[in-house]
Amino acid sequence: MTEEQNKQTPIIELNGVTKEYCLKQTFFSKGDACVLATNNIDLTIQKGEIFGLVGQSGSGKTTIGRLLVKLEEPSKGIIKMNGKPIHDLHGNALRNYRSKVQMIFQDPYQSLNPHLSISETILEPLIVNKIGNTITRQTKVIETLEIVGLSPGEDFYHRYPHQLSGGQRQRVAVARAIVLGPEFIVADEPTSMMDATIAIQLFQLLLDIRKKFNITFLFITHNLAAARYLCNRIAVIHNGVIVETGIADNIIKDPQHAYTKKLILAQPGLSLKK
Amino acid sequence: MENSKYISKNRNHSIERFTKAWAIFIKNPMGKTGLIILLVFMLMAVASFFVPLLGPVYHPMTGVDPNITYSTGPSFQHWLGTDFIGRDLFVQLLEGAKVAFIVGLSCAFISVVLGTAIGMISGYAGGIVDTILMRIADIFMVLPSLVILLILASLWELSIWVIIFIIAIMRWPSVSRIIRSQTLSLKSRPFIEASRVAGASNFRIIFKHIMPNVLPLAFLYMTFRVTAAILVEAALSFLGFGDPGQVSWGMMLQWVWSSGHMFQAPYWLLPPGICISLLTLSFYMLGRAMDEVLDPRLRKEEEGE
Repeated sequence: MTEEQNKQTPIIELNGVTKEYCLKQTFFSKGDACVLATNNIDLTIQKGEIFGLVGQSGSGKTTIGRLLVKLEEPSKGIIKMNGKPIHDLHGNALRNYRSKVQMIFQDPYQSLNPHLSISETILEPLIVNKIGNTITRQTKVIETLEIVGLSPGEDFYHRYPHQLSGGQRQRVAVARAIVLGPEFIVADEPTSMMDATIAIQLFQLLLDIRKKFNITFLFITHNLAAARYLCNRIAVIHNGVIVETGIADNIIKDPQHAYTKKLILAQPGLSLKK
Repeated sequence: MENSKYISKNRNHSIERFTKAWAIFIKNPMGKTGLIILLVFMLMAVASFFVPLLGPVYHPMTGVDPNITYSTGPSFQHWLGTDFIGRDLFVQLLEGAKVAFIVGLSCAFISVVLGTAIGMISGYAGGIVDTILMRIADIFMVLPSLVILLILASLWELSIWVIIFIIAIMRWPSVSRIIRSQTLSLKSRPFIEASRVAGASNFRIIFKHIMPNVLPLAFLYMTFRVTAAILVEAALSFLGFGDPGQVSWGMMLQWVWSSGHMFQAPYWLLPPGICISLLTLSFYMLGRAMDEVLDPRLRKEEEGE
């Protein structure tokens, strides 16, 4: 285990990351009501691994994902990617960062624009990052569609989101995330809207993609079983604080923190060793 | 080669989407009636370009029949009769239809374009920009447009285009309010965030992702703005403050009244009044039918998919 860790290099580092949401101070109310979404988070994600972030609703796990793709800015602390801090990126540097760090959203029914066809959705990252010309982009989109299991790609090229099932939509979302060839993908509960068989298929897809492109994943979930199936290491987050980090199997077999034990007990199919 | 195939397929889809919407629209009795009335008025407006070619007598403003020196009822030469100096009323009615369309459509267009742009920017930008734009909208919204037009028109002789512009300026705030609230709800949808994560600029997000989603609503409000603009212009003209060089339905009513024919010449009083009501009604019906296309909840159960 130590040997394995030694040869890995960190891709994402969080140092003391805190995110506070405060009510705005207005004429009628004082703005002293703040909510700590994440509190002093330290986290290191190694290159090539699937890192699981497990916690219940409201524990701040999605906030961490949003901080990583810069949809939110941390109130305190530093996030580094490949050793470089990301908080002061602008213009081209920011666009470059975004082409390396992508996100798969929770709800495939909400994360695709109903007015855009599948091709337009997947073309968008290529267009805004000015990659290729019209023809090469089209080939790229069809290729990507086939990688995510929507084949033949030409069939899906002109469809609209409402013509696809939930699982297919989420595959489109995966295609949009990988089309730029990112190094790191945040998957925010990508299977929470799907039934178990479709979820397993999507997990398999994520594993395939990781193998093929060597993409690092942050897999956010409330499902310990899913985390165990998919992840190398997991961190358990509770009320914005990381209570436990380690190899997935070790944590599930031998949880240290009381909250982790509670999570395991709440999960059908998992139980504590007496 | 491949490229052109993709594009043509794409166009087919938008045509398909349009025909689907059209099928719902035309099934609605309100939409059908509104459309038929509208077509009649369009025909009248188009005819107004050709009728004056029949001779100088049939010019709506200056065409005086030399044989007639007082208001006469319907006859073969003058289908609706003439006014007190011998001008043909039917020709004036046709001219009025043209003016109503110009006023209604251009007013609606200007105010909806302005309202949509301001609403989208305000909703998307939020913060101080939102506050400033919406306070300006509030100020315009509480201004009584007819009174202000009356004051301006009594100070200067306003041409029809100035009137159109002023009405449009007065009418954008309600559109921008609605578009803004729609934008607010769209802004926090994951597909907007997804496109931001992909690196899209604000400009691109507004025009590529938000605009197609608010455009149907903007079109809907356009039909209601048309109605409002036609009514304001008619009221202004009836009160005698319209463009004096331009025949319109409101102006015809003003002439009936000011020449003292209010209750002597129903053939003169009724047509413009009926036309104003019917045209605004038809736009209103169009709007209601479009509403049904946009909002599936308004459709009847049997039509549900």
